[in-house]
Amino acid sequence: MSEAPEADRRDPVARFLKDYRPPAGVPDELIGADGSVRPVWAGFIKRLASMTPERLASRMAHGDQYLRDAGVYYRRYGPQDTGQRDWPLSHCPLLVAEEDWSEIAAGLTERADLLERICADLYGANRLVEQGHLPASLIAQSPEWLRPLVGVTPRSGHFLHFVAFDIGRGPDGKWWVLSDRTQAPSGAGFALENRIATQRVYSDVFAAANVTRLAGFFRAFRDTMTGMLEEGEDRVGILTPGPLNETYFEHAYIARYLGFALLQGEDLTMHDGRAMVRTIEGLRPISVLWRRLDAAWADPLELNEGSQLGTPGLLRAIRDGRLTMVNALGAGILETRALMAFLPRLSQLLDGQPLRIPNIATWWCGQPSERAHVRSNAEMMMISPAQATGLAHETAAMASAEAEDIAAWIEREGPSLVGQERIHLSTAPAFVDGTLVPRPMSLRVYLARTASGWRAMPGGYARIGMTAEANDLAMQEGGRVADVWIIGRTTEPAETMQPAYSGAISRAPLAPLPSRAADNLFWLGRYVERAEHLVRVLRALHARLAETEAPDAPLLRRTAKYLDSFGCDMDQPVPEALVEAISAAFGSAGHVGDRFSVDGALALGDLTRTAEEFALRVEAGDDAARAMSVLLRKLSGFGGLVHDNMYRFSGWRFISLGRAMERASTMCACLAVFADAAAPEGALDLAVEVGDSLVTHHRRYAVATSRATVVDLLALDALNPRAVLCQFDHIEAHLAKLPGTGRHRPMSPLTRAVLRARTDLALQTPETLDSAALRRLEDEIREMSDQLTLAYLT
Amino acid sequence: MLYDIRMTIRYQYPSHATAGRYLLRLMPAVLPGVQRVIAGSLTVSPEPVEQLAGRDFFGNETVEVALGEPHWESRFSIAARVERRRISDLLDVSPRPEDLARDIAAHATLDASAPHHFLGPSTRVQPTPEMTAFGREAASGSATVYEIIRSLAEKIHDEFAFDPSATEVDTPVLEAFEARHGVCQDFSHVMIGCLRGLGIPAGYVSGFLRTIPPEGQPRLEGADAMHAWVRAWCGHQMGWVEYDPTNAVEVARDHVVIATGRDYSDVAPIQGVMRSAGMQSTGQSVDVIPLD
Repeated sequence: MSEAPEADRRDPVARFLKDYRPPAGVPDELIGADGSVRPVWAGFIKRLASMTPERLASRMAHGDQYLRDAGVYYRRYGPQDTGQRDWPLSHCPLLVAEEDWSEIAAGLTERADLLERICADLYGANRLVEQGHLPASLIAQSPEWLRPLVGVTPRSGHFLHFVAFDIGRGPDGKWWVLSDRTQAPSGAGFALENRIATQRVYSDVFAAANVTRLAGFFRAFRDTMTGMLEEGEDRVGILTPGPLNETYFEHAYIARYLGFALLQGEDLTMHDGRAMVRTIEGLRPISVLWRRLDAAWADPLELNEGSQLGTPGLLRAIRDGRLTMVNALGAGILETRALMAFLPRLSQLLDGQPLRIPNIATWWCGQPSERAHVRSNAEMMMISPAQATGLAHETAAMASAEAEDIAAWIEREGPSLVGQERIHLSTAPAFVDGTLVPRPMSLRVYLARTASGWRAMPGGYARIGMTAEANDLAMQEGGRVADVWIIGRTTEPAETMQPAYSGAISRAPLAPLPSRAADNLFWLGRYVERAEHLVRVLRALHARLAETEAPDAPLLRRTAKYLDSFGCDMDQPVPEALVEAISAAFGSAGHVGDRFSVDGALALGDLTRTAEEFALRVEAGDDAARAMSVLLRKLSGFGGLVHDNMYRFSGWRFISLGRAMERASTMCACLAVFADAAAPEGALDLAVEVGDSLVTHHRRYAVATSRATVVDLLALDALNPRAVLCQFDHIEAHLAKLPGTGRHRPMSPLTRAVLRARTDLALQTPETLDSAALRRLEDEIREMSDQLTLAYLT
Repeated sequence: MLYDIRMTIRYQYPSHATAGRYLLRLMPAVLPGVQRVIAGSLTVSPEPVEQLAGRDFFGNETVEVALGEPHWESRFSIAARVERRRISDLLDVSPRPEDLARDIAAHATLDASAPHHFLGPSTRVQPTPEMTAFGREAASGSATVYEIIRSLAEKIHDEFAFDPSATEVDTPVLEAFEARHGVCQDFSHVMIGCLRGLGIPAGYVSGFLRTIPPEGQPRLEGADAMHAWVRAWCGHQMGWVEYDPTNAVEVARDHVVIATGRDYSDVAPIQGVMRSAGMQSTGQSVDVIPLD
C-alpha cells in the first residue's frame, strides 16, 4: 500500500477522483486535456467530494425511491423475458456549459430546418431527385417514403414539429450528429423524470447550480400544439400504440403532464372526413395528434394493411387538411441512415453553407466510388443496412459476424448498405458501485417548433454506456440514462407548467372520457370484484377443508361445483381463473395509464405478483385460507384507493358501475346455489360469510340463519353494501350522472333495463325470491351490462 | 373489343359487423389509347354512409366507403362496359440485360411509372436467392430484357401447377414458389420476385379476363374470378410491357385492367375487411362477356 500523495490528502476533490482515469484518445467531459476538472463541473464535484459515501448512497436511494413511487418504467423486449423494468437512471448528471449548449442548439436548429426542406421536397416537387442530388432508388426503396402521402402538404404547413438528435463528442472535441429522430422521438417525458429524480438526489447542489429549467420548453410546445386546434375542440391528443409499447409509460406520463388526451387508434374514428374521438358523450372532433406510433401503423386502409393499432381512413383527414400529425406521417424517411451520406452536400446546396454540426461520416454503397471507398476501408467502418433508422452501432454487428468475404458482400448488396466511420465517443462520469468512472456518452437533444421558431429542450437526457465500449449505449443492452444540466452564468427563476395565479381560480372543464378508457375502467371494476368474490368463496372452502371436513362432504362438493362455474380448477389451491381475473384487472388498468393513480397501479401490480407467487407454492387447506386472507387485504386496499381517493369524474363511475354489476351478479349466483331450498347444511352460513355479513346477520335477526333471513339480508336489504338491491341503487345513482341520462330525459334501453331489474327485485319477498328468480335476475344484470356497453363503451 | 363486365364480391360475418370502412379498387381503369370505360357503376350494400372517390399513388381510381349500420353481410358489385383496344404486336426494342441498370439509373424521377418503385422487396414480394436463381435459369440465352420476360413466364407456366385449392389470398409468395403451385396471384408474385432478383423492375396488374374464349381457342385459366398478371419495365425505349404468366400469353385484348402496383397489396380490390369480428366467408362471381 502506497500512501496517497500529500496534495490528495489536503484536496478532497483530488481524493474523490483518484480512480477516475479517462481513456486515451477521446475527450472526457469532466477532466480537461490538462488533467484538471473542467470549470463547469468544479462546483458540483466539490460538493460530491465533500459527502461521505454513505450520504451519497442514501441520496441516490432517494432518487430511486422517487422513480419507483412514480412508477417510472420502460418495457423490455428479450428472448426470454418481456416485462417492465425500472428506469435505468445514471445517478451522475452530465454538466454542459451554456456557451457549449447554445452552439449545439444553433447547429441543430439549422439541421432541423434543413431536414424540413428535404422532407417538403421529397413529398412535394421532388427536385432533389430530379436534379440528381438524391438517388431515386434510395427513396423508392425506403419503407418510410409513404406513397399515399406524396403530394400532400401538411395542414400546419410543416412536416416536422418535434424532433430529436443523438449527438456525440468526437476525438477532436467537436460534436457530431449520430442519428436524426424525426418519426416519433420518444424520451422527452423520461427526461422530465430524470430531472425530477436527479434533483432529488442533489437538491441543494441543484438549487445553487444555475441549471436551466425544462418547463419553459414544454410550455412553449404545449401552447403551440394547442394553438393548432380548431375552434371548439377539447384537447390535443397523443396517439400511442398502447401498453405493450416500450415507452407507453412515458406516453401516459407526458399526456398527464401536458394535459393532452392519451389515445389509441381505436379511440378514433372517421366521420365526414374528420378524425373523431369516441367518448362516452359521443364523437368529438380532434385536429391535432402528437403521434408516438410509427407512421406505417396509422391507417390500415392506406398504409400497413395488417395494422391493428391505427384508424381506418385517417389519411383522408390529413390529405384534406383536417388533421395535423406531429410529426407528419412520412417524416420518418429523414431517419434513413443512407441519407446522412448526402446531407453535407444538401446543406451546401439548400443553405449555401456546410453543416454547422457535421454528422457521422457516411458512404452509401449504391454509388460506385463510395462503394469502393467502403470496400477498401472496411475495417475502419461500421457497415449496416442503408434503409435502417436508429443509431448505427445498434445494428452494425452484422459486418464482422459474417465470415464471408466482406468485399464480395459489399459488391453484391451495394445499394442496401452504408459504411459509417467507427465512432469513438467522449466519456462522462458515471457511478459504478459507488465510484465515479468514465463511460462513453451520447446526448439526446429535443427540438420543438414554437411560434418563435425551433426551441431546444435544455438538457435532460444523455445515454451512458455501462461498459467502456462505445457501442453499449442502448438501454436494452444495459446502458443507462442521465439527466443533463445546462449550467448558466446567472440564476434562473423557477418555471413550472402552471400559469401564474391571477385572482379568481377557474376549474378547467373535464374533457369527455374516451369510450375505450371507460370500457377498461368498467372491466377493471368487474374483474377486481370477481376476484374478491372468488377469494371469499375459496377462503370459506379452504377454511372448512382445514377443519378436516371430508372433501366429498355435500357442502364442499357444492362449493367446488360453484367455483367450477367460474372456471376454477379445484386441483389448484390458487386456481388459475383467480390469477387470470387479477391479471385481467391489471391489464385493464394498464390501458388507462394516463387516468389512473400511480398508487392504484402499484397496488394492482403487487396484487398480481402476489397471486402469481401464491399459485406456485400455496397448498390446500389452512395455507390456502391464509393466502386468501392476504389477497383479500390487498384487494380491500386497492378498493380503498379507488373509492376514497379517486376523483369523482366519469371514469370513477365506470369502475363503480363495473363493481356494482359484478357484485350484484355474483351475489345472485351465490344465493342461487347456497340459499337454494336443496342446499346442504352449512350452505346458508357459507353464503353469509361470503357476503361478509356474519356480524350484521347476528345483529339484525338474532336467530340462526334461515333461508329467509339470508336472502333478506344479501338480496333485499338496501342498507347492506353487499346486497343485490343496494347494487341496483348504486347503478341507478351512477347512471343518473352519466351523459344522456337523468330525470328529465326519455328512458333509454339501458335505464329501462336497470329500472326493470330493480323493480322486479324490490317487489320480491324472501319467499318468492327463489333460485329460479335469482337466475332470472342474473340474466337481467347481463342485459344491463350489454346495454351499458352499447350506450357508452363502443 | 367491347366487354360487358359484372362482378360481385360478398362477405358474410358470423356475428354482425357494427361498422366498417373499406377502400375499393374494383372499376376497370381508363387507359388512354388502350382501354376506355363507356359506362360503369358501383353498388354497395348495405348502403354506405360515406362514399368518396380518390386516386392512389399509382394512379388507380379508388372508392372509400363506410358502412354504418350493423350488418351480417356486405356486397360490392360493379357493372361496366369497357372498350379494349388490341395492343399491336410488340417490337422488341428492349436493351440487353446488362444495359438495363444504366437505363434505370438514368431515370431520375419518382413519378408513378418510374422503374425504381418496382425493384427490391415490397409488401408481398421479397425476392430470395432461390427465386433469383430460378430467374437466371430462365434468362440464360436471352439476348434482351423482353426475351427474359417471355421465357420466365413460360418457365413458370410449364413448371407450376394451376391449383385454386392450393393457396389463399394471404399465401406468402415463398410458399407458392417452393410448392410450385397456386393461382394467378401466386404466379404473378413469383414472376415479379424472379424479375426483381434479376434487376428487372416488375409490378402487379389486377383485372379481368374474358370468360368465353374466341372461337377455336381454349378457355383461359382465371376467367371466372378476378385475374392478375405482371408488368415489367423493358428500358427507356420500350417502357412497360404486360405479360400473363398464368397462361403464358402476352396481354393483348382479352385482358381488362383494373389497377397496377408493386404487388397485390397495392391493388387489393377491397382493403380493410380484416377489422370486422371473426372469420368471414366470401364469395366472388365474375362475368366478362364480349359484345362483338
